Amino acid sequence: MFNSAYNRIFFVGLLATTLLASPLLSAKGVYQSGPDFFAEVFTPHKPQSKVLWMTADIRQQAEKILDRPVVGLRVRYHQLDGKTAWILEEIGKEMPITIGVVINQHKIAKVKILAYRESRGGEVRYPAYMAQYEGAVLTDQRKLDKSIDGITGATLSVWAVNKVAALALYYHGLVNPVESTNGQSK
Amino acid sequence: MKSIKPSRTNIIWHRRLGLSVFLVLIFLAISGIALNHSPALKLSKTNLSNNWLLSWYGLEKPAINGFKLQDKWLYQNGNNQLFLDGQSVAPCSAPLRSGVGNAQSIFALCANALVMLTENGALLETFSQLDGLPANVQAVAAVEDSLYLLTDSAVLGFDPDSLAVTATAKTPAALSESLTVMAAVPESLTEQLDETGPSISLETVILDLHSGRFFGQFGVLFVDIIGLLVCILSITGLWAWLSRLRQINQ
Repeated sequence: MFNSAYNRIFFVGLLATTLLASPLLSAKGVYQSGPDFFAEVFTPHKPQSKVLWMTADIRQQAEKILDRPVVGLRVRYHQLDGKTAWILEEIGKEMPITIGVVINQHKIAKVKILAYRESRGGEVRYPAYMAQYEGAVLTDQRKLDKSIDGITGATLSVWAVNKVAALALYYHGLVNPVESTNGQSK
Repeated sequence: MKSIKPSRTNIIWHRRLGLSVFLVLIFLAISGIALNHSPALKLSKTNLSNNWLLSWYGLEKPAINGFKLQDKWLYQNGNNQLFLDGQSVAPCSAPLRSGVGNAQSIFALCANALVMLTENGALLETFSQLDGLPANVQAVAAVEDSLYLLTDSAVLGFDPDSLAVTATAKTPAALSESLTVMAAVPESLTEQLDETGPSISLETVILDLHSGRFFGQFGVLFVDIIGLLVCILSITGLWAWLSRLRQINQ
């Protein structure tokens, strides 16, 4: 009976220590600057810096994807041939997450967290998790065609990355219209 | 085996400690729960601007200074929002270091980003340090159609279309006359800022009360002592329980 009581105390203490230590594992930080991200993506070439102007229609669609108002008259991106790279921000729980997205031939080639400002949920930045997005395309409903696994405790951050990935695919489609079979872009 | 009774002293002190900390513990529990559910309760979005509270936190209504660009005033409200002639135009972390305008655009250099606006104040784009804005830029200047970023010792050329930052042979002193000088914003504009002036979120106040920081270092020490007392309370309670358990076993 004593052993049982002592074991309980030990495990409660262990649990309390784990909970108290968890804030120390915060993932806040800037992991890569924009110029370094573009250099990594396009090396050894130098991409062109371009802007996508936000027309009323584009803004409406972007707001539908993000489910919030979109500010700014233009969105910057870098392009080399059919490959574009975007740095976009979306709120996770309370703070914006800066996310780099690379699109090649209308498919996601890479997603990377460049800056994470939330105190919890930073597991989304792990390359193994981000690899899930590779190859995803945009459906007609402006959603990703792949199901992305969630992360316990980082649900809002995962949703933010999903939205940004879909938005980057939408923007990419605007600056690189898909050629239809009769040669017209759609 | 000798029976171990919880000593009377232990019980007395357990009772005394419990009575002395229970009110504080209830407050800490309620404030802790509130902080744990801060997003749902929107504590961080509830701003308090009571004069006594602002004064307690050492916040005063700031003197609003800004930059007069032709016929418009560019200024910041002390609450991370950029204004152009009474209109809130973009987020801007304090301090607003510099402002300049040319025929098509207005540029505001905030703490960590260059905010680019149209001449009417619509946000074009924000060029942050993460995007490549050098961290040590102190001012932005316009000379004819060219824009320059001034650091302590160098002048960098800036292309607002490509966001390219290039080195130049100019010196900061040579461009000093091209800088727009900061001046006091007219009262007619600052009066409109009263509602958006400095404030403290309810979350901050509760967090500071919870940690004791609201009352300075003595408050923190007080909460530390309460924490220690709770530890002692747990130990005396556990000791009493174990002793009782052993008694029952025997």
